Amino acid sequence: MTALLGSRPDVPTDVRPGAASAKRRPRRRFTLERAAPLVLVFPAIAILLVFRVYPLALGVNFSFTGDQELNGVFIGLDNYVTLFTDVRFHAAARNVIVVLLFVPLEVLVAGILATFIFLKVPGHRFYRSVYFLPVVLSPIIIGAIFNIVLAANGPLNDVNKALGLPVIDWLGQSNSALPSVLGVHIWATFGMALVIFLAGFSTVDQELLDAARIDGASLGQTIWYVVIPELSQTIQFVFVTTTIGMLTGIFGLLYTMTAGGPGAASYLPEFLIWKLNGEAKPALASAASVVLLLLILVIGLLQIRVLRRATKEV
Amino acid sequence: MRSTGAARWIIAAPMALLAIATIYPMLYTLNIALKSRVDYVLDRGGLTTDFNFQNFVDAWTQANMGRYYLNSIFVTVVSVALILLISSMAGFALSHLTFRGSRATFLLILAAMMIPFQVIMVPFIKTLSDFSMINTYPGLIVAYVSQFLPFTIYFMTAYFARIPKEITEAARVDGNTIYGVFGRIMLPLGRPALLSMGILNALFCWNDILISLLVMQSPSQRTLMVGVSALRGQYPDNVPTYLAGVLLVVLPLIVVYLIFQRQITTGVTAGATKG
Repeated sequence: MTALLGSRPDVPTDVRPGAASAKRRPRRRFTLERAAPLVLVFPAIAILLVFRVYPLALGVNFSFTGDQELNGVFIGLDNYVTLFTDVRFHAAARNVIVVLLFVPLEVLVAGILATFIFLKVPGHRFYRSVYFLPVVLSPIIIGAIFNIVLAANGPLNDVNKALGLPVIDWLGQSNSALPSVLGVHIWATFGMALVIFLAGFSTVDQELLDAARIDGASLGQTIWYVVIPELSQTIQFVFVTTTIGMLTGIFGLLYTMTAGGPGAASYLPEFLIWKLNGEAKPALASAASVVLLLLILVIGLLQIRVLRRATKEV
Repeated sequence: MRSTGAARWIIAAPMALLAIATIYPMLYTLNIALKSRVDYVLDRGGLTTDFNFQNFVDAWTQANMGRYYLNSIFVTVVSVALILLISSMAGFALSHLTFRGSRATFLLILAAMMIPFQVIMVPFIKTLSDFSMINTYPGLIVAYVSQFLPFTIYFMTAYFARIPKEITEAARVDGNTIYGVFGRIMLPLGRPALLSMGILNALFCWNDILISLLVMQSPSQRTLMVGVSALRGQYPDNVPTYLAGVLLVVLPLIVVYLIFQRQITTGVTAGATKG
């Protein structure tokens, strides 16, 4: 390059006005420009490394150390042994299975309702708005409202009485507390799954639907053979977000509605971690966190797969 | 895909019932909040007749709600502003610039998105206290920013990636620096996404209870949600005043929802459909 330029010294390499002065101090500007991508991503990387990745590593490390007088002392797997023999941990683990059973229920309810709205039943716009409204409300508010609604002397039991059904202390009995909280959670969040479904529906190829109709497919066949395959990405996404929401988004409801009770009947991992931390057992709480992490990891890897596909550009 | 008229009306009936089930608890709450305490004890279910607004006044003045409102507004506004700035910078770099480590950065963001706060809550609080940030507003703001940043970066990256690279390249040929392209081209073009993420993150910060409970332990620094959940203990035998307090918190949320419904739904559906 230099040789080439040198062979034709009479030809100016750049004839734009101001090019010479721009060339006079090219170094500094050049490096600032070159550093631009790093300057732009640096705050994000710094925050995530310091407040997400570092605590994660610290927490895993914590989980192998002791609490109180053993603070900071390596105790191997003792925390995990303590945890696996703790009744509250057993309750939380059992409840995770109950939670996972409620996931398909929420997805199904949202999917069916989204289909109806997509088919433009009378008043579909209104329904869409109403169903989504609880999503913006805080779990604290929802919990406060449903504490009253589900109380032993609350309106739901008034309905039960009127229909001749037994009066149930929904939140006070160990077999109904968690299902009640999960029911309220579904009430509060199915609107979210619903709008995600609707976003998916809007991408279904209209020509495929027309083709199905011309071929004489029934509504059921159209849904089964055209809509569901077209929506597979959306359905996966709803499953993953609903599952994560149920495993990590119920703290507010538990906190206001049952406080994990009665006994440990409505404990979930997130509540157990919070509780153990509050009992000055941070190391034990960290062990519980690691267990929750492993659980979330399986679901999260699915999530990454789904999300990566949605941003092919990167 | 249009079903017949009659069938659509039959489907509409259960949907209407469900809509009632969605709204009813809120109306029930409003009804009780408007009752006097005596009226509530005598007749819980009946429609209120006296429209007693005293409960709202009591909840506002006695329970320190004004202070909690200010705390929540301050923390939410600062957190959201920081989240939007940092995430749009990162989103621009990840979608339009090539640099070493961009893949690793994107993976870091996805990984951070996957880790729920509950998993790192204990060491996170330890980290905050190492920085002496427990019981401080910067501590709570940092907690919110680090919690909600990953998803917002993801969203902004996906949004900016849909803006043709020719636009940014043309702007640079015209003599803009990369920072100029960011400020003059990307931020204005990204306004819909920023609005959507701004509203959504504001809701997240405003509605949070767990992080706020952990970081802010002194009563005067409580955010609104912690304050409201404490109301129950303050009014154990005065349900109408408690529910009036709850409604004072619901009101701004419903207003925001009615105005920004479209932006909120755009935000939560990100990533749900094919590219």
